[in-house]
Amino acid sequence: MDEEPERAKRWEGGYERTWEVLKEDESGSLTATVEEILYQSKKRRVIKSHEQVRLGMMRHLYFVIDCSRSMDDQDLKPNRLTSTLKLMETFVDEYFDQNPISQVGIIITKNKRAEKLTELSGNPKKHIDALKKAVDTPCVGEPSLYNALSLALNNLKHMPGHTSREILIILSSLTTCDPANIYELITTLKSLKVRVSVIGLSAEVRVCTVLTRETGGSYHVILDESHFKELLMLHVKPPPASSSSECSLIRMGFPQHTVASLSDQDAKPSFSMSHLDSSSGAGLSLGGYFCPQCHAKYTELPVECKVCGLTLVSAPHLARSFHHLFPLQAFLESPTEKLLKNRFCQACQRELEDKTPVEKHTWSQTTEKASNRRMTLKTAEKNGEPSNHNSGDALLLIW
Amino acid sequence: MHGENTQLHAERPQPICRMVFYTFISSEGEISLLVVVVDVNPIWWGQHAQSEPEFTLSKCLDAVMVMGNAHMAMTRTNQLAVIAAHCQDSHFLYPSKRLKGNDDTSSSRDGKYELLSVTNNLIAEEIRDIMSKTELTGNSTDTLLAGSLAKALCYINRISKEVGVAQEIKSRILVIKAADDCALQYMNFMNVIFAAQKQNILIDACVLDSDSGLLQQACDITGGLYLKIPQKVALAQYLLWVFLPDSEQRSLLVLPPPAHVDYRAACFCHRTLIEIGYVCSVCLSIFCNFSPICTTCETAFKIQLPQMVKPKKKKPKLPA
Repeated sequence: MDEEPERAKRWEGGYERTWEVLKEDESGSLTATVEEILYQSKKRRVIKSHEQVRLGMMRHLYFVIDCSRSMDDQDLKPNRLTSTLKLMETFVDEYFDQNPISQVGIIITKNKRAEKLTELSGNPKKHIDALKKAVDTPCVGEPSLYNALSLALNNLKHMPGHTSREILIILSSLTTCDPANIYELITTLKSLKVRVSVIGLSAEVRVCTVLTRETGGSYHVILDESHFKELLMLHVKPPPASSSSECSLIRMGFPQHTVASLSDQDAKPSFSMSHLDSSSGAGLSLGGYFCPQCHAKYTELPVECKVCGLTLVSAPHLARSFHHLFPLQAFLESPTEKLLKNRFCQACQRELEDKTPVEKHTWSQTTEKASNRRMTLKTAEKNGEPSNHNSGDALLLIW
Repeated sequence: MHGENTQLHAERPQPICRMVFYTFISSEGEISLLVVVVDVNPIWWGQHAQSEPEFTLSKCLDAVMVMGNAHMAMTRTNQLAVIAAHCQDSHFLYPSKRLKGNDDTSSSRDGKYELLSVTNNLIAEEIRDIMSKTELTGNSTDTLLAGSLAKALCYINRISKEVGVAQEIKSRILVIKAADDCALQYMNFMNVIFAAQKQNILIDACVLDSDSGLLQQACDITGGLYLKIPQKVALAQYLLWVFLPDSEQRSLLVLPPPAHVDYRAACFCHRTLIEIGYVCSVCLSIFCNFSPICTTCETAFKIQLPQMVKPKKKKPKLPA
């Protein structure tokens, strides 16, 4: 919210006549204009990200959740903590879908202390299970920003240089109880190139503003639950990599998936850590992925081999990250008047109708979905299909 | 027109296939949409017409029509769409623009269910149009499969939106592939696969000639079936037996086992499949050997030099 130099707050600015923006349609309802405004802001946000910037594809993200007394507040239904944890589950799913080779860890802070809920790992199930169990934690005491940040930092500083190190804090309390000077910790974070972002649930807190500004993160305060979800989803996309992050060649293995083997070496590999997903359940199974370097078996990818330390991925996981590197070009809007005779959508075989506020029967609406869907449309164009020869450039394309 | 109809009679399912017509009644109001993408690459079909004259494109389309009719006859709410994938573009065979134009094609001559005869006639007319009128320009002889799949996904999305939230719709795509894979379409293909996976759309593959790694991955990721047909003349039989039942019914049947999918990556320098490779952290390109500069994004890599170990000073031996 604040940039340097600090700009004026909203209440310090001029008098805005916000009622002039809204226009009623014939029946007197405002939904159409509201939808239009939301739509335009969404469009602007996505267009803004179409620059050629190097992205941090392998991400190590630590989540810090505030479990202090203020999370018991009922302004998000049923209470802030439950709502936050539920949204986090969706976030973890989306995150691993868009960044399959990244890792996430969760820290909670309450009672002036911070503790780790889950370690940094690339397995979404573990995190989701831990989040489900965390709904019952009592919200007591005050959070401690310093302790949470130093706990995350102790783990992140050992990560290799080519990965992006991030911390995302969800802070609902307006106070924090720190054992030492937090501004020194902020300089340490900055020197170690850790990027901290904060989502506030109550109000803007000055120390968070300074923290995010120094480390290059973003700070937002939510308005309501849907805004909360939107802000969370902003962090799913890989952030631009800092200029000083190292680029290196990472050695990775691409194991084959064996389905049914007749050999009797079916035992699961024995790991040094006590509880991992592959050792729960029956234990023995026929197929799996064998590490090409040490032949240890795993059931799922991507994973880091415990025996030899090789990162194991499969080619579709890397392909999943390509759509961040080659983003879809923005669609061009052209008005219906330019379409002369052939108002026919080539993709879905439907008549194009006039753009009305409520129903937008255009190429976009029938193909409008998550960004994935826009990609599929673009592939049709990229493959050199002339589509509609007559009105190829005049098709009404609103995405 | 008459010729096509009589040929269809000859292709009516044999008794052994008749028992494959399941009488499962799906739950009320559930719509099942099947989109068939047929590879009509004229170069491949032309070459094969000489080596195997008994299996031509028209026979293949007859088999597709049989399967389409069977699908629509099973439940009243089932829907069908057929797309032909050509070398440079793809066309909808059914439903096509002609559907809206001609309202006088309704009377079928042999008392067949009207919808089926309209469908068959439309498909026959459209494919005749396409094969006679499309001209090949340029050098590429590969089928535009990724684009056709993208069109199929767009169509499925449109139907899902039209049907509304109240009714469930289950969709799947069946790809009948003739020509070989085109490596240039890899990115587009993967995008289509991930989009289908997100929307819970199955992609099945029926491969006529040579194995296709891309389709194997597609079927594995989306949960569909992959089958390479040993005998092309029996295409109708395979389509009805293996690809006609939808995903719920497949769990009750014994179907061909999943193919062994090769998920190894191909290195960018030699295009060979490798098991251990080096991945650039910026552009994610894969190399088989360590090189100081990434050829795709031209980043210079930091090479970890071994640290200098200071030689330990030996303590001078004390004279005895």
